Amino acid sequence: MRGRPLLHTSYESDQALLNTTAKRVMFGILLLILVSIPFRVVPGLKFLGQEDWLRLLSTTAIFAIGALGLNILTGLAGQVSLGHSFFMGIGAYTAVWLGGPVGGPFIGLGLPIWIWLPAAGIVAALIGIAVGPTAVRVRGLYLAIVTLGLVFIGEYLFRNWNSLTGGAQVGRDFPRLQLRLWNEEAPLVDFTTSGSWFGLDLSGTAKSFFVLTLLALFFTLLAKNLQRTRVGRAFMSIRDRDIAAEIMGVNEFAYKLLAFGISSFYAGIAGALLASFVSRVIPERWDLFLSVQFIAIILIGGAGTVTGTLLGSAFVVLLPRVVQNFTLWLQGVAVQGEGILASIANVFVATSSNDFGLVNTFAGVGPGLSVAQLNLVLYGLLIIGFLIFEPLGLYGIWLRVRNYWKGWPFTY
Amino acid sequence: MRKKSKWLALLLVLGLVLAACGDGEGGDTTTAAGEVATDVGVDLEAQTITIGLLSDLSGPFAPLVQVINSGHEIYWANVNANGGINGLQVNLEVRDTGYVVDTHVQLYEELKSQVVAFGHSTGSPHTVAINSQLQADGILAIPLTWYSGWSDPDINANLVPHGVPYCIEAMNMLEYLTLEAPDAATLAIASSPGDYGEDSNAGARLAAEELGLEIVYDGTGLVDAADEATLAEVASGIAGSGADLVWVTTSPTPFGSIYGQALAAGFTGALWSGAGPTWNPALVGPESPIKDALAAEFYVSAYYAPWGADSPGNQEVRELVEAAGADPLDYYAEGVIEAKIMEQALRAAYDAGDMTQAGVLAAAKSLESVTFDGLAPDETYVGEPNDRVQRAQFISRPDPAGLAEGTSTGVTLIESMYTSPIAEAYEFTETCFSLG
Repeated sequence: MRGRPLLHTSYESDQALLNTTAKRVMFGILLLILVSIPFRVVPGLKFLGQEDWLRLLSTTAIFAIGALGLNILTGLAGQVSLGHSFFMGIGAYTAVWLGGPVGGPFIGLGLPIWIWLPAAGIVAALIGIAVGPTAVRVRGLYLAIVTLGLVFIGEYLFRNWNSLTGGAQVGRDFPRLQLRLWNEEAPLVDFTTSGSWFGLDLSGTAKSFFVLTLLALFFTLLAKNLQRTRVGRAFMSIRDRDIAAEIMGVNEFAYKLLAFGISSFYAGIAGALLASFVSRVIPERWDLFLSVQFIAIILIGGAGTVTGTLLGSAFVVLLPRVVQNFTLWLQGVAVQGEGILASIANVFVATSSNDFGLVNTFAGVGPGLSVAQLNLVLYGLLIIGFLIFEPLGLYGIWLRVRNYWKGWPFTY
Repeated sequence: MRKKSKWLALLLVLGLVLAACGDGEGGDTTTAAGEVATDVGVDLEAQTITIGLLSDLSGPFAPLVQVINSGHEIYWANVNANGGINGLQVNLEVRDTGYVVDTHVQLYEELKSQVVAFGHSTGSPHTVAINSQLQADGILAIPLTWYSGWSDPDINANLVPHGVPYCIEAMNMLEYLTLEAPDAATLAIASSPGDYGEDSNAGARLAAEELGLEIVYDGTGLVDAADEATLAEVASGIAGSGADLVWVTTSPTPFGSIYGQALAAGFTGALWSGAGPTWNPALVGPESPIKDALAAEFYVSAYYAPWGADSPGNQEVRELVEAAGADPLDYYAEGVIEAKIMEQALRAAYDAGDMTQAGVLAAAKSLESVTFDGLAPDETYVGEPNDRVQRAQFISRPDPAGLAEGTSTGVTLIESMYTSPIAEAYEFTETCFSLG
C-alpha cells in the first residue's frame, strides 16, 4: 500500500510495533545515534560521549526500566502506587544477597549476574504479589496510602537490617556489572573497566552504557508487547472502568495482582541495576522521593504510553544537568557581559552574597535557591503544569507536533 | 522490502566507518614553558588552576557546608589577590551533591575532567563510593568528614584527611571529662546511625574500658533526627540510667531535643559532651531554654580553634572574613583549613614541576608538615598510619552571655591542641569502624 501508510489491510500490520515507514526509519536512526554516542561522531551530540553524560544516559536507561514498570501499573491498569522505590530496594538487596562477596562483613553468596539480576526482578515480583491482595481491595487515594506505607516499612527494614544492607547512612558495595559463568576470579565480560571490544577501544562507562541501553530496549519491547496482548487490554479495561471490565469477564482481582507483579518485577530489575551501577548505596536511597520521581516521569512523559515513559525518564534524569549548565552559563553572562542579556541574567542568578537573584551560583552563604532546590521547584511546577495543560504529557506534545506536520501546510 | 534492508545496511556501515574515524582525544600531558607538566584543571596559558568542591548545599548539612564554602572563596580570593600559586589564579568549580550518593558519583564524573583535585568531598559513604574511581583516575580529594577510615592505609591512597578522627575524639573527650569529674563511674552513650555515630562510639567504648567507666546506657545508632519518638526514647534512656557522664554523637537539633527532654525528666548533674558536629552555638542562643543548663554541664569538642582563639591562624581567618563583610562564625575555619592543605599541595606540585592530577596527588601525599598557624593542629601525610593519624583537638565551654553580647561565637576555649593519654597510647593501625 505504497503512499498510504495509515491504511492497514491486516491486523498484523495494524498491530505492528513500528506500523509506518516513518516510525521504522526514525527508530533506525535513533538506534544508530545511540550506538554512535560513545564514539562521539554525530555533530552536535559529541558532548554526550563524555564520561559524565554517558553516566547520565545510563541512569536514564535504568530509570526508564523502572518507569516502564510503574507505567504498566499506573498508566495501563490505573492503579496509583507510591511504593515503587520499596520494590526497587527489594530488587537491589536481593541482588546483593545473591551477588555480594562470600565471607565479607555482610551477607553474600557470590553468584553471577545471570542469577542475581533475574532473581532481583522475581523476588520483587513475588513480594509485589504477596502485598497485592491488601492493595487490590482499595483504589485511588486509599491505594496511594497503602503503597505509601510500604515505603516507610521498607525504609525501616533496610535501615536496620545491617547484615544485609550495611546499615543506615553506611550502606555497602554492590556487585558490579560483570558477567561470570560461575564464581571464577576474572569475569568473562567486564562492563565496568576500559578495554577493547571488537577492535574498538571503549571506556568502562561506555560499556555500561551499551549494556544498560540494550537492557532498556529489551524491557521496552516487553512493555510494548504487553500492551498489545489480552493482558494489556484487560489492564486498560480495568483502568477505564473496573466494574464494566468485570462484567465483560475480566477477573479484576487476578489482573490487578498481575499488574502489581509485573510492575514490581520491573522495579526490582531497575533497583538492582541502579545499585550495581552506582556501586554503593545507602538504605535511605529507597525513599519516598524516588517514588515521586517515577510518578513525575510518567506524568510528565504521558501516562499509559511507552514512548512517553521513555521521554519522561530522559527529561527527569537530564533536567537537573540542563538546569545546572544553564545557570552556570547565565552566571558567566552576568559576570562578564554587558547589555540587556547580562541584566536579564543578573535578575536570575546571584553571583555573590550581596547580589540578589533567584538562583545562587557562588560557593558559599547567601540568598537564592541552590541549583538542586531549583530543580525540586521545577519538578513541582512541571507536574502541575502538565496535569492542567497537557495530561498526555510530552507524548501529547509530540502527537500534536506530528499531527501538525502531517497536514502541513493545511493545518485545519 | 529488499531495498529497505539494503539501505539500513548502508547506514550501519556508514556509522561504523564514522565511528572508526572518531577523534582520539585523551588526557595528553603537555609540558610548557617553565617545564611544568599539566593535564587537567591547570591552564598555563590562561594562568588558571581549577579545584572542585563536592558540597552538600541542599541536604542535611547545607547550613554548615555553605559557610565552609564561603571560607574557601574568601581564602582563595586572598591567595589570588596576592599573586596566586606562582602567578596562577585559583578558581573553584562547586557542585551540589544534596548528600545523595549517586548524585555525588555523577558530579565527580562531571568534574574529574575539569579540575586538578577536589578541595572537599562531603560525606563518608559518598567519599567511599568515589574512592575506587579516585584511585583509578589518580586524583586527590580532601574528605569533609572525620571518619577514622581516612587514616587507614587500605583506604586513603588518594585522600588527605585532617583533624582528629571521631573515635580518637571520643577518647580525648571522655578522658577529659573524667578529669573534670574524678568520681564519675558510669557512662551513657547515644548516636546517630552511620559511620559517624558508630566510629565515635567505638572510641567511647575503648575509652570507657581504659577509664573503668561502666556503660549504663548504649543508644548507638538510635538517634533519628526525623523521628521524634527515637529522641524521646534516647532521652529517657539516658535520664533513667543515672549516668555520671554522657557522650552523644549526632547533629545539633536532635541533641537539643534529647538534652531538653532529659533535663525535663529531672536528670541533672552529669557532664555532657559530643562529637564536633553535635554542637551549634544556636543551642545557647538568647531564646534557648537550655542555655544555662548547657553552660553548666556541656563541653564542646572541635577539630579546629573557635573564632576568638588567640593564634595567628585565627587572626588571619578573622581578618579575611571581616574584610569580606561576613559575620563571625566558627565554620569558616574549616574551609580555610581545606584550602590551606590544597594550597600547600599545589605549591609543592609546582615546585616539583608536575601539576598534573597525579602530580598534585603525589605532592600532597609527600607533604611532611602542613601548618595552620594554630588554627588547627599541624598535619603530616607521610609515614606509618599510627604516626600520622591526628590526635590533638580543641575543647571549649558554652558561652551564652558572650553570644548574646556579640563578644564571642558562643564558646570559650579552654584547651588548645589537647591530646589525652589514652588517645596518645592508642595504637592506630586500621579504622575503628569498618564501612565494609
